[in-house]
Amino acid sequence: MLSKKGVDFGFILKRYDIEAENKSSPESYAKKALPKDAVFKACAEDVLYMRFKDIGKTVTKALESKKPLDIINEGLVPGMEIVGKLYADHIYYLPEIMLAAKTMEIGIALAEKKLGGARKTKGVAVMHVAEGDPHDIGKNIAAVMMRAAGFTVVDLGRDVAVDDVIASIIKEKPFLVTGTALMTTTMSAFPAIAAKMKAKGIDIPFMSAGGAVNREFSEGFELGIYSEKAPQTPPIADKIVAGYNWKKIRDEWDKIVGGA
Amino acid sequence: MAITRYTKMAYDKADDMVFGHAKHPVSYGFGIKVGAGRVIPELNYAPRPGTEKDIARITKEYVDYISQDAVNRAVTLGFPDLQLETEWISQMGTNSKMAESIVAGQTALLEKMHDKYGINLAIRHTLPDQREADQGLRPKMDKAHSYPERLVISAEIACENGASLISCETMGGKELLDYGVMTGDITACLFGIGYLGSLDMSWIWPQFVDIAKKNKVVPGGDTNCSGANTSMFMAGGYLDNDVQRTFSAVTRAFASARTLCAWECGATGPDKDCGYEGPICKAIAGKPNAQEGKNCQCAHADLQGNLMAQICDVWSNESVEYHSEFGGSSVQCWLGSLGYEVALMNTAIAFGKQKTLRDLYMFTDRARGPEGYILAYDNAYKIGQAIVAEGKDLYRRAKAAGLTAAKVIRDGNKKKEILLTTKQKDVLDGIIKTLEKLPDEESKFVDYCLKQYKDVPAFNPKNYDL
Repeated sequence: MLSKKGVDFGFILKRYDIEAENKSSPESYAKKALPKDAVFKACAEDVLYMRFKDIGKTVTKALESKKPLDIINEGLVPGMEIVGKLYADHIYYLPEIMLAAKTMEIGIALAEKKLGGARKTKGVAVMHVAEGDPHDIGKNIAAVMMRAAGFTVVDLGRDVAVDDVIASIIKEKPFLVTGTALMTTTMSAFPAIAAKMKAKGIDIPFMSAGGAVNREFSEGFELGIYSEKAPQTPPIADKIVAGYNWKKIRDEWDKIVGGA
Repeated sequence: MAITRYTKMAYDKADDMVFGHAKHPVSYGFGIKVGAGRVIPELNYAPRPGTEKDIARITKEYVDYISQDAVNRAVTLGFPDLQLETEWISQMGTNSKMAESIVAGQTALLEKMHDKYGINLAIRHTLPDQREADQGLRPKMDKAHSYPERLVISAEIACENGASLISCETMGGKELLDYGVMTGDITACLFGIGYLGSLDMSWIWPQFVDIAKKNKVVPGGDTNCSGANTSMFMAGGYLDNDVQRTFSAVTRAFASARTLCAWECGATGPDKDCGYEGPICKAIAGKPNAQEGKNCQCAHADLQGNLMAQICDVWSNESVEYHSEFGGSSVQCWLGSLGYEVALMNTAIAFGKQKTLRDLYMFTDRARGPEGYILAYDNAYKIGQAIVAEGKDLYRRAKAAGLTAAKVIRDGNKKKEILLTTKQKDVLDGIIKTLEKLPDEESKFVDYCLKQYKDVPAFNPKNYDL
């Protein structure tokens, strides 16, 4: 092997990850953003620190003194919002998002049980992976992020036929449909789905995503919008719920996903 | 077909490994010799969306456009060798007539061009593993699509209609790997790709080898694209980091123990280009190794673009969608990029400077990230040694690969050879602690995992005869 003695590797490469490392701690974020009320704070902390084994006990105790909806909105959701900030600032990463979301969902399920039914979410999204395509990790991550952001997700899974997607749209009446594909020849299903939606008078955005998909393809058919990566899905969904149609999402796409 | 596990290294020392040379060269197609002293460029491509709608159109896309363009450019630029790779689209996996038409059409074209110009040509067909864990990975389990049966049929179609060699990106254990990557659970990854993946490959690859040999086709090898590459892409680069790169490096090491199974089942190489675990597998088995890196930017970016060329025998572009570029069609442009890189490697061989170029490739990326660090040929060799020391025990050897990789990174970090962020280091320390605590016995590990991961979506122990 060649000797590397005296070679300056800084001449060859730059480790931006080392130089830009954010050494802030989750605790420093928590100090600024956790709820003041002790009961809500305990719920938020369990989410923030991903204590999915403890959250059941914490929420059960909280239900003795607080209303279920307040526990969700003033305890569990604020905890998840801090997690979102930590993720955006590269202190938390994907596993922390997944485990915090799992913790929050356990807590929400308990609160909803006491509530006597599911709380009102921001809306229903139908998500699927194209027929013939077995790669679903991207869709699964986006689904968790959508749930964590307060949406209901109807997850149809992978390898889903066009007509099965249409049937689900008719049944669930979503505000958004998403399709993920990793292959150039499976994503052809997306314009076909959008065309069938149009034919049935369903005028909601169809979001295309996945390794084979790009913005040009996604916006190449009516109803089509694009998501490049999973964290972009909730902010786009928020805009749709706020009244944006697929054309306006396209027009303002760069602005919407800029911070995602 | 008997399975013979590796219990010793093919090479006496890491320094014996170079690009273009394998201990066990392979010949196939129309004059292609792999690992016999020259690196071969391999071009992979994807048809345009919509062309899959009927057999005539998709055959034209593959044969008249993609293959013809590629061979024309290879001749235009004076490349002596070209290997094509058709990664089957899902429709080929379910429509036998479509698959037959494309396989036969491409082979006929290659034969014609070989006869016309004397260029050495071959085609790899990569079979589509569409099996779904929740539906069942073994025959008679998947009532909806019969995907396990279709996978075997695909192998038969490829081999009976003119493939030079076959490969597959098998999916066994992916459900556990996905769960492990998303939740940061290294034990789930070990169980998924290191153990379940190895069991699945040890079931399917003897069948592929039998079908290939019956038809005088070369059974190449596998890749953990669906597992360790998922982990690697989630680990990303310096701007798009979702999983720690120390984590993905260890999953890569697990994958090497798994991907080796194809060769233990009788496959001869070259393995699949996207299996970044290839240097470890080549160090163990001495079979030809296909890799990708700097010339696959059309498909993805990674942090070891030069390093992956260090000991390859086939050099690939991963995949490019067919479309027009200023310099010709996309396959022509990326073949140009590939072919000139291969010409550089072969020039180094011709001048007797292959070890110098190998080391330059390796050193450019050795410190770029932990995954490249463990795949640097000297470290890859150490991981290979850890695997063969455990020989026949699929669990222990995968664990040994992961633990050795983790310690190689830790030691490299102590020597300041590979820098790590605090988070990368914390995750690495956690991995070492977790792996060291796992039981030594396979049965205890399996019992633990069956209990621990019983609720992981789509996981069904029956898929693995457990």
